[in-house]
Amino acid sequence: MVSSSQDIRKAIEAKWNEYLSKYGNLFSSDSLSGTSPPSVFVGSYNYPKVNVGPMVPPIHGDTSLLDTPEKWIGKTLEEIVNYRLNLVRGIQKVPVSDPSGRYIENLQELAMSETATDSDIRFYKATSPVGLLDGYSAPFGPIGEIKSVKFSSSPSQRQIEKVYYDRDLLASDAVLKLYNSGIEISQIQKCFSIGMMGKKRKLVPTRWSITATDDIISKSLIDETLDYPLIDGVRVFHFEHMGNLFSVILFPYRWLYEMIEAWYSKGVLGFGSDHEDARGIDHPPEIAGAYFAAKLAVGEYLVRNQIQSGALVLREIRPEYAIPIGVWQIREGVREAMKQKPVLADSFGNALDVAAKPMSISTKEWLSHGFILKLMRQKRISDFF
Amino acid sequence: MSLVFSAITSGSDDLKAIISAISTLVEEATFVASAEGITFRGMDPSHVALIDISWPNSAFEKYECDSDIKFGVRIDEFSKLIKRAEKKDSIELGISDDNMLLVTIGKNKKYKIRLIESSASDTPLPKIPYDAKIELSSTAFDKILGDVQVVSDYLTMIATESKAEFSGKGDSGEVVIELQKGTDDVQDLSVKQESTGTYSLEYLNPVVKAVGTTTGSIICEYSSAKPLRIEFKVGNIGRIHFYLAPRVES
Repeated sequence: MVSSSQDIRKAIEAKWNEYLSKYGNLFSSDSLSGTSPPSVFVGSYNYPKVNVGPMVPPIHGDTSLLDTPEKWIGKTLEEIVNYRLNLVRGIQKVPVSDPSGRYIENLQELAMSETATDSDIRFYKATSPVGLLDGYSAPFGPIGEIKSVKFSSSPSQRQIEKVYYDRDLLASDAVLKLYNSGIEISQIQKCFSIGMMGKKRKLVPTRWSITATDDIISKSLIDETLDYPLIDGVRVFHFEHMGNLFSVILFPYRWLYEMIEAWYSKGVLGFGSDHEDARGIDHPPEIAGAYFAAKLAVGEYLVRNQIQSGALVLREIRPEYAIPIGVWQIREGVREAMKQKPVLADSFGNALDVAAKPMSISTKEWLSHGFILKLMRQKRISDFF
Repeated sequence: MSLVFSAITSGSDDLKAIISAISTLVEEATFVASAEGITFRGMDPSHVALIDISWPNSAFEKYECDSDIKFGVRIDEFSKLIKRAEKKDSIELGISDDNMLLVTIGKNKKYKIRLIESSASDTPLPKIPYDAKIELSSTAFDKILGDVQVVSDYLTMIATESKAEFSGKGDSGEVVIELQKGTDDVQDLSVKQESTGTYSLEYLNPVVKAVGTTTGSIICEYSSAKPLRIEFKVGNIGRIHFYLAPRVES
């Protein structure tokens, strides 16, 4: 029997409170000294004048793990929530249209830093920990308004520096350039959000910047696959972590993509889905950032294998996923799924059975909340060459 | 300035119709100009529809092309210029030595636009024998599409020796429109074998609207569960072939 999300939240909260009572003085102070992973955060509240600042834990050393989701596969929900809660978020209000001045430049340097960076912050008043919040937004450590901040100098990523000083490069091209040179998506996203790319630069709230970078990169990956031959059979991939179950079916078809999500809310199943063909998607997906995060992971697999295919991604969210921790876990979860050895199915129907088997939702239920079968009825002109 | 190729249209309607038809499928288009005339062939990114255009030299007021040349344009950029032409304005197309597309509208409007790198892949045409052929005015066809769209996203065509039937079915209801052979509605109906095909209005509507009244009548040819080919006449001898893959039952 799995414990309910209530129980899990309570357990995490209890441990966190215990931690705070032991080390609370590290957090409730009007100054903070620690090593930023590096990390910057741009809020969306009060847009277009938003809260911007560094995230710094009250510890020194190599803290990079705290804000590099690419390294979090295999960790428990509790460990990851703790990483987040350790990060104290310093803020100053800045208009998004004006990413300039000393404060922002410092943050930009921090964002492109190659290594974790020592930081000293003075706040107007003591920071205080916020609770575990409502369960919708990703958890945070304490927040404090910054009076002054000093970062020690650390070497910048060369590729990011180049993009930063290139004022003629479109933001989307900058994202692709960094991605193709091997920079982690989490770092690209931070640089994107703190206004370091494009011709007309502005701050982009962190949650929007995550979707934007995933969208830009996944679109480019899929465009590349359109020239590759079709996959030669039907493959099913599966992975689960932290109460999130992912199944991916690849089938021989011109690019066609659907993601269907299902979650339990007060004992009732909720569904959401969206889809596209090679023309792309022309509206914000119903399932928001999850759509692009999974598409990116599938796109990476197709490009790596130089094939083209249709893709159906199913995501079941179990009650154990007590605290949403961000879209990164979908990207990394599907990336991990695509690294598993696939089950080879002899038909799409058979693949659906394999995909739904580890889940608590039947193939019939999945299909009734998506469009994939309807979409597959449309033939291609190239079928008649 | 020496031109690699030069063509002058009489009036602007034909070019407008062609560009507008292409714009329903792709963002970038590669044209081929040869001594015989100008051609274009391309599929939409999802490979559901294909446009094949043939615009022979004799359709132009003046046409010169010494050697085959491919040129690629961004359709939205090209389209914006062409729309600046009045109905009667002739349009001269040329390519300069420095690889710019020269577009002269009427007597004195001279535009120059950047060419883009042309994608080289050769698209074949679907090989299908057509069992049914329906000819009707483009206005009548446009109306039928509108009538069906009220209830459905797809158009089903059934052609028999005596009549053509257009129908659609959706969540809210269904519609049937019957055209009898030998009436004014149908200019021609020839059927080798009774044929049924279903096609997406998402693709049909825009192209029929794009070509509009430039073409007098259109010819629909298809076979059961096979692609549909619509021929739009452009000018006297040019034509647009629009191919659309069918929807089939699972």
